[in-house]
Amino acid sequence: MYNWKTKLWIAAFLAPALAVFVLFYLVPIVTVFVTGFTKWNGFNSPEFIGFDNYIKLFTYNNTFAISLRNLFLWSLIAATLHVGFGTLVAFILFKRPCGWRLVRGTFMIPNVISVAAWAMIYKFIFNDDIGIINNFMRNIGFSDFHVKWFYEMPAAFFAVTFTWLFYAVIVMLIVLNDLMAIPKDIHEAALLDGANEWQVTRYINLPLVKKAIGTGIILSVTSRIAMFEEVALTTRGGPGNETYNIPLMLYNGIVNSEYGYANAAGTIMILLGVAVMALINRLFRMNERLY
Amino acid sequence: MLSKWIRTIFAYAVMAFTVAISTFPILWIIMSSFKTNKEILGDPFSLPVSIDFSAYLDVLQNYNFATYFLNSLMIAGIATLLALFIYALAAYVFAKFDFRLKSALYILFTVTLLVPGHAKAQPIFSLIMDMDLYDTKTALVLVYTSFGLALALFILRATFMTVPKDLDEAALIDGAGFWRIFWSVNLPLVRSGLATAGILMFLSYWNEYFYALILTTGAANRTLPVALAFFDEAFSYNYTRMFAALTLVVLPGIIIYLLVQEQVQKSVASTGIKG
Repeated sequence: MYNWKTKLWIAAFLAPALAVFVLFYLVPIVTVFVTGFTKWNGFNSPEFIGFDNYIKLFTYNNTFAISLRNLFLWSLIAATLHVGFGTLVAFILFKRPCGWRLVRGTFMIPNVISVAAWAMIYKFIFNDDIGIINNFMRNIGFSDFHVKWFYEMPAAFFAVTFTWLFYAVIVMLIVLNDLMAIPKDIHEAALLDGANEWQVTRYINLPLVKKAIGTGIILSVTSRIAMFEEVALTTRGGPGNETYNIPLMLYNGIVNSEYGYANAAGTIMILLGVAVMALINRLFRMNERLY
Repeated sequence: MLSKWIRTIFAYAVMAFTVAISTFPILWIIMSSFKTNKEILGDPFSLPVSIDFSAYLDVLQNYNFATYFLNSLMIAGIATLLALFIYALAAYVFAKFDFRLKSALYILFTVTLLVPGHAKAQPIFSLIMDMDLYDTKTALVLVYTSFGLALALFILRATFMTVPKDLDEAALIDGAGFWRIFWSVNLPLVRSGLATAGILMFLSYWNEYFYALILTTGAANRTLPVALAFFDEAFSYNYTRMFAALTLVVLPGIIIYLLVQEQVQKSVASTGIKG
């Protein structure tokens, strides 16, 4: 339908993006999947060893088991408390109380700065000498409050969790966006039928934003799968290996030139991401039309 | 009536909490960067006695932070421009033309968003080694450019679709070629989309840590987030200097965001991605 010249232009316009896709996505992802089954240090040619890397991941020591435990707990907290808080703020701002724009604007700030810097700020907030948490506790009367956040369990687990727990602005924005898109006549009809404010919130608004909440859960759980700075720059997986996670294991695999091992960890990350997406899609029936 | 009061109080308490947890950590480090080490150790809540920029000068002059700052700026800036160019070309074709495998290709390109970025670290590390680009700014520019694929295509395709086809046809009748119609007719009309995608990409590139950590080693090509982590290890007990360095990393992103708040929020709300 186009002449050959136009076809050539179309191809030329697509070529750079296609090159990026092949070089930085397709080939790397295939490499990750395939070399996860090999012994490879970058110098030798990959040697096929079946599931040995995966067996090593699961059995060598308990680090991977702890990483999975942490991922499970962090995902659970992300899907409930984190998404719940974002949704709560969205429902409050939807009523447009005085100052709602200010809240929406400032809530975004932690999200536009470097996660590395944010993790380090939290390292100082939880610092025993100068940190505001411990000093505050000591100031209000607990004069020997010296919890070594990031260095002892279970405090370290909670301290890492705290660096992201309340920062749910993405969830808030997508839920708020869907709330504002609900047609006005639905609310008017409900109010005419005698529904009170709580009933409108519970039986109309909440079901109508469930896709946004589902998306919020997918986004926040996948960020927990990929969480690196919040751990690497605070506890480094410690104390012992109690706050270890999969990205940290993958990073160590690269640094120690155990590429096959690193890519086995990478494969698990990708598969977990896909599984979470499929699961939430199912649970929230995200493919159905709502109205 | 009572329950209404309780609800209102609860709502404002949540709002106040949200503002506090979002701003207080940053205000605290900015405030502390003007205090002496002794003041910080004495009382972490006290206001600085005097406003003193010497920690900033120290960090910029004696610890190479000016270099790291320029590195970050250059890498994020060039990667953003390169990404905008490459993905504007593709988005334009996706928005305005029909060709074989179009929707399959578009889905493939945008589904990349769902792959955790860290998972492909080793192949990308090896790719950069093979291209002999390890420890160069070019390496980071290329890798960061690739990160924008899904986000930029998503935003730019949607904006190109808002440019009426009549304009293209009119230009065609006037004798404009394929490139002219793209560059002089369409591109000026999608400035808002370019700005939104550009801002989101620039912020995420400016803040990126993981790939900057594994793809560089020397100080010459180090970016700010990585420098910060090194700095922490070397000078963890000079808090004033540390807080000044942190402020230097954090503030540019906040300033850019405050200037273009509405745009950032709107695109995050509709795409669910922040870069």
